[in-house]
Amino acid sequence: MSEPIEPQTPAEPEVPTGPYVYDYAASPQRQIVLPKTVPLPSLRTYRAEVVAQQAADEAKWQKMQADYETAKAKAEAEGKDAPKPPVKPVPRKDDNDLKTPWPEEAKDPDLLRLQELLGDKVEEVFEQAGELTCQVRKEALLEALRLCRDDADLKYEMLADQTGTHYPAAKDFAFSLVYHLTSISRRKRLRVRILVPEGFEPESACSLYLSANWLERETYDMLGVRFQDHPDMTRILCPEDWEGYPLRKEYPTVGLGQRDIDFRDDRGGMLMRIAMEKAGQMGINLKQPKAD
Amino acid sequence: MFKNEEMEINLGPQHPSTHGVLRVKLRLDGETVVKCTPIIGYLHRGVEKICENKTYFQGQVWTDRMDYVAAISNNLGWAEGVEKLFGIETPRRAKYIRTMLTEMNRIASHLLWLATHALDIGAMTVFLYTFREREYLLDLFEAFCGARLTTTAFRIGGLREDLPPGFIKQAQAFQDMFLPCIDEYETLLTENRIWKKRTVGVARLSAEDCIALGVTGPVLRAAGVPYDIRKAFPNAAYAEMDFLVPTRPEADTYARYLVRLEEMRQSHRIIQQCIDGLPEGPVMAKIPKILKSEVNEVYHAIEAPKGELGYYFVGEKGGTMPYRMHVRAPSFVNLQALPKMVEGRLLADVIAAIGTLDVVLGEIDR
Repeated sequence: MSEPIEPQTPAEPEVPTGPYVYDYAASPQRQIVLPKTVPLPSLRTYRAEVVAQQAADEAKWQKMQADYETAKAKAEAEGKDAPKPPVKPVPRKDDNDLKTPWPEEAKDPDLLRLQELLGDKVEEVFEQAGELTCQVRKEALLEALRLCRDDADLKYEMLADQTGTHYPAAKDFAFSLVYHLTSISRRKRLRVRILVPEGFEPESACSLYLSANWLERETYDMLGVRFQDHPDMTRILCPEDWEGYPLRKEYPTVGLGQRDIDFRDDRGGMLMRIAMEKAGQMGINLKQPKAD
Repeated sequence: MFKNEEMEINLGPQHPSTHGVLRVKLRLDGETVVKCTPIIGYLHRGVEKICENKTYFQGQVWTDRMDYVAAISNNLGWAEGVEKLFGIETPRRAKYIRTMLTEMNRIASHLLWLATHALDIGAMTVFLYTFREREYLLDLFEAFCGARLTTTAFRIGGLREDLPPGFIKQAQAFQDMFLPCIDEYETLLTENRIWKKRTVGVARLSAEDCIALGVTGPVLRAAGVPYDIRKAFPNAAYAEMDFLVPTRPEADTYARYLVRLEEMRQSHRIIQQCIDGLPEGPVMAKIPKILKSEVNEVYHAIEAPKGELGYYFVGEKGGTMPYRMHVRAPSFVNLQALPKMVEGRLLADVIAAIGTLDVVLGEIDR
C-alpha cells in the first residue's frame, strides 16, 4: 500500500509586507537624462558665446593658412606642384524663412527706466523676439514689481502669468522665476525674472497682484519653490500627499511606481492582501472558506 | 429653538453645473454663501511635462486636449508661439485662414457656453437652438482637418493643406444663416423675465477686481475695460480686420451674456472679411524638416474665447523639444475670481457664477 497522500494546501500568495511603497528611484524604467546646458536667455552669455565663436573661427583660419604655408614650402623643396590655397569658410546660408531672434541691447524706455530706478539691483535687461526682459536680484523682486505697478511711466497693472524653469545644470542657481506683466492702458508686456537657488524662498507677489495667489501655488506644486508670506502655500493641481515636484528635470516621465509594476503578476497579490485585510477587520476568515 | 449653525457642502466634483470636474467647497449660512473654496486638479494630466518630451510638431496635439471646446484657439497659440520662438514668418493666406477658423471656433465655444449656461439657470430651449448652429461649424472643421473637436488644425509655419474645395461656399452659407440665429437666441433670453432675474446684478466683479485678479476675456470686457488681445497685441491677421470690442459697464452676469452675444456678431464680421479678402499664395512657410531652437524664451498670448491664453516656451540650443513649456490658461486664472463673486450671495448664484466665468476644466487642470 502506498502512503496516504497528504492533502496539499495551496501556497499562500506572496504578500508584500508593510505599507506598499515602491522604490521608484530603483525602477529600471526610470531613465532620466538630466540636461547638461543652461538654456537661460541672456545678452551677456550670448555676447560671450559670439566672441568665443569668432575667436575659434579666427584660430582655425590661421591654422589653415599656416598649414598651407608649410605644405607649400615642403612641395617646393621636393619639386612638386604647389597645393591649393585654402578658402576662408563662409557661413552656410539656409534657404528658409527663419530669422532667429537673438538677444539685443535694451532700447525700450520701460527697461531703461527700470534700470535707472533700481540701479544695481537690476542684473540684466535685454530684448529678444520683441519681448522685454528685466532680470533683477532675487531680494529686490517685490520692489521691482511694485515699481512696475505703481510708477506713472510704467503702469503694469496686471500680472498675467507667473511660472518658473528648473535648471539643474546651473551652478549658482536652480530656478528661474518669471513674472509676465501686462499694461492694459499702455498695451505693453514685460517679463521680470529672478534666479533663485534651491531652498530659497522668494517673497510672494500676492500683496501686489491678487492673481499671483494660484499662479504661485502652481509654481510651488510643480517646481517646489515656496513663497514667503503667501496666504495659502499648498498644492493646487496634485493631491496634497503627492511626492516630488513634477516639472523638475529629475522627475521621471514614466509613472512613479504604479506603472512599473507588471500588474498581471502583481494584481492578484495586491487584491488578495487588501481583501484579506478588510475581511480580517470584519472578523471574516477568507483563508478557509466554509464548504457548503 | 433653531440652531444657527453654518453648514459646509461640496458642490461637485461630479455636479453637472460645474462643467467638468470642479469641486467647490461652500460654507453656508442658510442659503447665503459665507466662504467659497474652489478645489481643482481632478483632470490634471501633466500636459506641460508631456510637451517637454515631445517635439514642437508633436506638442500641438496636446493643446487640443486642454480647452477641448476651443481647440483651434489653442492650436493658434501654440503655432504662433513656436513661430515666435524660431522667428518664422507665416504666409498671409495662412494667417487669413487661421483667423477665419479661430473666429469660427470662438462662435462655437460661445454657443456651447450659451447652451450650458442657460441650461444651468433653467432655460432648456436655448440648448437645442445653439447646438444646431454649432453642429454646422463642427462639420466645417471636419471638412478642413478631419476632426471635430481635437483639431490640430495648424502646422508650425502655416497650414498643412489649403482649404478644401467648396469650403468657402459652405462657410458663406453659414454666414448667411447665422446672424438671424443670434437674434433668435436673443428673443429667447434677452428680455426674458426669469433670465433677467437670475442674471442681472448677479456675480458682480468690478474692473479693479478683474485687473487685480488677472481676469481677462469677456468677463473683463463686461466690466467696462476694452482689453482685447486681438486689438492690443494683434496676432494672425487681426491687424487687418475691422471689428469692435464690445464692452458693458454693469459687470454682472447679464452684461457678460450681452458681451458674448455681441462678440459672436463681431466674429461673424471677421469671418466675412476673411472670406472676402482671402489672399492668394502659399499656405506654408519654408522651414526645415527638423526645427532646432536657439536659447530663447517667449511668452505668446492670444485672445481665446475664455480670455488670455498664453504659451511660455524656453528653447534650448539645438533642442528639438521645448526645454520648458507653460500654459497660462484663461480659465485657471479666471476661476480665482469665483470666491470674490459669490461670497455673501445666495447658493443658486454660485451656479450662475460658474457658468458666467465659462470655465473648462481640461484647461484649468491641464
